[in-house]
Amino acid sequence: MLSGENNMYRKMISLIILSFKEGVRDRALIGAGLFSLMMMGSALVVVSMFMRDLDKVSVDINLSAIAFAGLLLTFFVSINLMAKDIDKHTIYCVLSKPFSRSQYIWGKYLGIMLLIFMAFCILTICSSITILFIKSQYEFYFKSFSWIEFYKAVYAQLLLLFLLNAVVVFFSTITTSSFITLLFSISTYLAGQTIEEVVVFLKSKNAMDMPLSESINAIIDIAQYILPNLSVFDLKVQSAHAITISYNYLFAITSYSLIYSVILLLSASLIFNRRELK
Amino acid sequence: MKKVFHYNIIPFFLILSLGGYFLIQQNLTVKRENYLNQSYMGYTLPSKISGLAALEFKGILSDFLFLKVSTFLGDKFIKREMLADKHADYIYNSVDVITDLDPWFWDAYLFADLLLTWDFKKIDMANKLLFKAREYRTNDFKVPYHIGFNYFYFLKDNMNGAKYMMEAASLPGSPTWLNGLGTRLSVYQNQYKPAIMFLSETLKKTHNPALAKQMEIRLNTLIALDKLEKAVQEYKKIFGFLPLKITDLIDKGFVKTIPQDPYGGEFIILKNGRVFTTSNMIHKQKKSN
Repeated sequence: MLSGENNMYRKMISLIILSFKEGVRDRALIGAGLFSLMMMGSALVVVSMFMRDLDKVSVDINLSAIAFAGLLLTFFVSINLMAKDIDKHTIYCVLSKPFSRSQYIWGKYLGIMLLIFMAFCILTICSSITILFIKSQYEFYFKSFSWIEFYKAVYAQLLLLFLLNAVVVFFSTITTSSFITLLFSISTYLAGQTIEEVVVFLKSKNAMDMPLSESINAIIDIAQYILPNLSVFDLKVQSAHAITISYNYLFAITSYSLIYSVILLLSASLIFNRRELK
Repeated sequence: MKKVFHYNIIPFFLILSLGGYFLIQQNLTVKRENYLNQSYMGYTLPSKISGLAALEFKGILSDFLFLKVSTFLGDKFIKREMLADKHADYIYNSVDVITDLDPWFWDAYLFADLLLTWDFKKIDMANKLLFKAREYRTNDFKVPYHIGFNYFYFLKDNMNGAKYMMEAASLPGSPTWLNGLGTRLSVYQNQYKPAIMFLSETLKKTHNPALAKQMEIRLNTLIALDKLEKAVQEYKKIFGFLPLKITDLIDKGFVKTIPQDPYGGEFIILKNGRVFTTSNMIHKQKKSN
């Protein structure tokens, strides 16, 4: 029994490493990395054009560069890794090995997450060096800057990508083409980023003057529960102004991201187990 | 043979194209400048649209929009073009959008406050934005300090001026001299001294060289006005009446020279003994479209 469990873990770890290595070989990874490094480098010049919020601007640029790189990795590398396996029938090679389909889903997902985690570590080190350099140049304007709040925002961004990649894995199990997976994933990202503001607007006083029909209200309520609220992970503006984010809040968004991702991955496993691969 | 011909002709066409590109680029720069001068770009997307479109990149969008607004107006200042009311509306609307995207963005509030008060005399607009800042930057003494200054110096409302100055003094990080300034404000009524103190303090913490230069010019003008006004008061104390012309101050030895107004105006003595400049501290050389 124990050896069976060990065997399963070994299989999972080999799948995770396989997906990770496959991702590292993707040239889009280098492109995303270079783009974000260029963006971070631009901060060195851009900050000098501001009056006194130089700390805010450097944090804004660096966090946006990290976030943008994460999105590029998700939409190009992850989708390549996941959906194209099915698209190009390379999945048969993997499934011919003694893996269950659920193991394949979880192994792929964790491999992608390992890749994104490593990329985030490198980007965070690079952005910390950039900020440190700017800070040494303009020490006076960095009095309120907080490293802890900066890293909290990076962590929240990582949580967003945990969830978004679960969305990618989910859609790649129900669609037949990587392009459709890309479209669905981008749509979920856009809807997830805007749903909160749309709901707040519709429930605001202005909207009360033009009451919505009950069916539309019901659709909004359902959409609020089904769609992931991705704006909860956006702590960039707060971090830029060193506004303290409570650990309770971080715990809440961590739980939200984990539970939502687990639900998606379990659903993906169920669907994928029943799916007929042609 | 054919291959050699190709290799010879490609560099020739490349150099020709580069030359053409260089000429077109120069021509385009001139045409683009004319185009920008003719078509006023005083429009910023409302935050209900830009906020949604920015997704999770609201902070960096606010930086970009602020840079766009400050560059556009900075160019007008450098060219010393007279600014019109439409520019004040543009500043107000843009900064309102920028601070909807990032409500803690002090650079944007400060930029709008300095321009709307000193250059456009739109104190209500400036205060409206500062009150928005006060909702978010609750622990920042600079916000009530600027509101208080606007009430006191521009609106001549000493009661509100003192109220906000005292609020500023009670917040963490406020300079020690601020403590008690609120109560002394009435002493400084109709004087340039608070404005000199205010600008000196703002100038010390301003990094942007273009804006710092503008502030320095204004500060020097205020120092000159203060110096002349003190001399006028001295003159009145000794002779019992005001000097008729500003040059009387030199004739009677109260000042050695009359400083030049950096804005191109002339210093004059008003009937109440105050010294003003005909430039009103605005560059008046060109007219903008």
